[in-house]
Amino acid sequence: MGTPWLRLLGAFHNFWRGLRQWSGDSAYETYLACAERRPEQKPLSAAEFYVEQLNRKYSRPNRCC
Amino acid sequence: MKRLLPILIWTAVAALGGVALGTIAFHRGEHINATWFVLAAACSYLVAYRLYSAFIAAKLLALDNTRATPAERRDDGRDFVPTNKWVLFGHHFAAIAGPGPLVGPTLAAQFGYLPGTLWLIAGAAFAGCVQDFVILFCSIRRDGKTLGEMARDEVSKRGGLIAQLAVLTIMIILLAVVALVVVNALKSSPWATFTLAMTIPIALLLGVYLRYFRPGRVLEASLIGVALVLFVVVAGQWVADSPYLAKVFTLGGVTLAFAIIAYGFAASALPVWLLLAPRDYLSAFIKAGAIFSLAAGILLVRPQVLMPPLTRFVDGSGPVFAGKIFPFCFITIACGAISGFHSLISSGTTPKMIQREGHARFIGYGAMLLESFVGVMAMVAACAMTPGVYFAINSPASIVGATPEAAAATISGWGYPLSARTMTGLAHAVGEQTLLNRAGGAPSLAVGMAQIFSSTIGGERLLSIWYHFAIMFEALFILTVLDAGTRVGRFMIQELGGRVWKPMGRMDWMPGVLLSSALIVGAWGYFLYQGVVDPLGGINSLWPLFGISNQLLAAVALVVATTILLKMGKLKWIWVTLLPMAWLVIITMTASYQKIFSANARIGFLSQANVMASQLVAGKVAAAKIADTHRNIFNLRLDAVVTAVLAVMILVLLVEALAQWYAILSRDKAPVLEETPYVATEWAEGD
Repeated sequence: MGTPWLRLLGAFHNFWRGLRQWSGDSAYETYLACAERRPEQKPLSAAEFYVEQLNRKYSRPNRCC
Repeated sequence: MKRLLPILIWTAVAALGGVALGTIAFHRGEHINATWFVLAAACSYLVAYRLYSAFIAAKLLALDNTRATPAERRDDGRDFVPTNKWVLFGHHFAAIAGPGPLVGPTLAAQFGYLPGTLWLIAGAAFAGCVQDFVILFCSIRRDGKTLGEMARDEVSKRGGLIAQLAVLTIMIILLAVVALVVVNALKSSPWATFTLAMTIPIALLLGVYLRYFRPGRVLEASLIGVALVLFVVVAGQWVADSPYLAKVFTLGGVTLAFAIIAYGFAASALPVWLLLAPRDYLSAFIKAGAIFSLAAGILLVRPQVLMPPLTRFVDGSGPVFAGKIFPFCFITIACGAISGFHSLISSGTTPKMIQREGHARFIGYGAMLLESFVGVMAMVAACAMTPGVYFAINSPASIVGATPEAAAATISGWGYPLSARTMTGLAHAVGEQTLLNRAGGAPSLAVGMAQIFSSTIGGERLLSIWYHFAIMFEALFILTVLDAGTRVGRFMIQELGGRVWKPMGRMDWMPGVLLSSALIVGAWGYFLYQGVVDPLGGINSLWPLFGISNQLLAAVALVVATTILLKMGKLKWIWVTLLPMAWLVIITMTASYQKIFSANARIGFLSQANVMASQLVAGKVAAAKIADTHRNIFNLRLDAVVTAVLAVMILVLLVEALAQWYAILSRDKAPVLEETPYVATEWAEGD
């Protein structure tokens, strides 16, 4: 495989990662990485985190006209 | 040579933009191609971004990339999450872009394409983007504080309360008016009603999937959801063709209004994961897809713009809404040029996720430019249809008549030729019973979009599918604004109520949740109902009210921004926020005054109420309509009071701020800036 293909693959990978971040698909992974730095607290499960996250997100203006 | 090349390129971009703007401004006679609009907008935005936003970033705000942002200092994996600049741009854009930039320009097209297009471009570059950018900056420097908190800390306690009340009021008006747009798009349309109704079970399904089966797997769930939504768009045709089902889903305005009110209450009181969040995911994906395809469609089809640059309605006698270009064009197009609501997104969510102060320019200024571009595309889509058709769709029956023949005669009489057969043929082609009197912007935009899409893919045969796709897309994300807004309104009421009576403030106390949900839904539901039964179609009175309140909120944001900048000692550059603020105060005050006091009964709430009252006294109202007329009179007076309250709020805030500014400038007291102290970033340069 030549460099242009690798570059294309890299671009696609970045796009995919960005899309996951944008949509919230990778939010739990981000949270776990952050929770690892604070081992004194037990991290939430994926389902707990999902619900908690939504409750916070939709309690302030997050969609505009 | 290396330094010369960028200068040459930017000069070329500026020259091209100038030529394109000149072409759309001075073009007379033959129709003009939409490509000129795209060029004029794109080049203006590029130049504004390259020069004006760079100037603001460097001189006014002095963005500092060595300063750690809240996301770096308080990184908690929840609210404070350092986010890639492009991802955050997408996030911020998805939050600020709603139905506003699609509906406003469509309505303002009654003046012709020129006033709205120029205001969209100039308003965004000099006011809207500046507001979003500066408020984002102020909030970053204050750990992501909200606009209300900044108003309280930097202007005065009363200023904070006013900002909070202003937000609640505009929320109520906003929710009512967007709900009215949905009602006007769905009434007597079994296809559209079925499609939108089906998005509710789809959302519930996704909600359960994301909560219990695959927690947080948003992408795969959204993919399933989008496929299902596209399926129900097509399935709507079978419903419309089936005599029995078509009857079930053919609903009148009042029934639809109550259905939407019930939906809003459910979305506010039910757990957020069940209905609200999954619906929001669906709408985000469909919104991104539809906006992208509209841009691609316009570039591929390059339609002719059939609307003249200026219509005869610049004199204020327009059928869609009454009033002259000044101030009503600037009120009608709020989102797309400047929207106060954006300041709530710029303070609150986005500042907690930004990696570097320097990114604020791209995200704050840049995302608003893109929203303005969406507004220009909506303007193109609305102006690409025959003016006669545009007026037939958007004018209320009380002005043009209720039958195709009557509407065609009235509109042709205005000088926009239209035959009754065109309207019935078009309604048939898009799979509707009628397209007449559907004020609100959504149906005419959908016709415009469907015509553009179908000339790329599918031709006439797919026109009806494209039309219902466009209606579904608009209605879907209007409902998302509606349920998210209702929920936030409920929290605001609970918070305000909690100050008076403690238990009210507890977000998990069921009676409090139900009571505050009922209050907020009742408030916007009342205005929605009033709009649905309004003989003039409702949009005529509610949309200007919404525009005024949205622009007032922008004025609040710019007052806060100006105060902060003065305290930072930026007197020399203060015109950057002061001039747009002054402009907004002028247009909102003029519009409020005219809406309340104008002697023209089509503009002034009070004079219209007086006309009705004198008809009652003179006995000219049929006995069956007396109760309705009493209610209409009450509603008009209520609208006048709401407008006055909004205007007084901004005046009080302005006086508070002026006192502050005077104290700062006369050095009576040392300015106290509530900024978080400087902390150096630990991230390497270029992160």
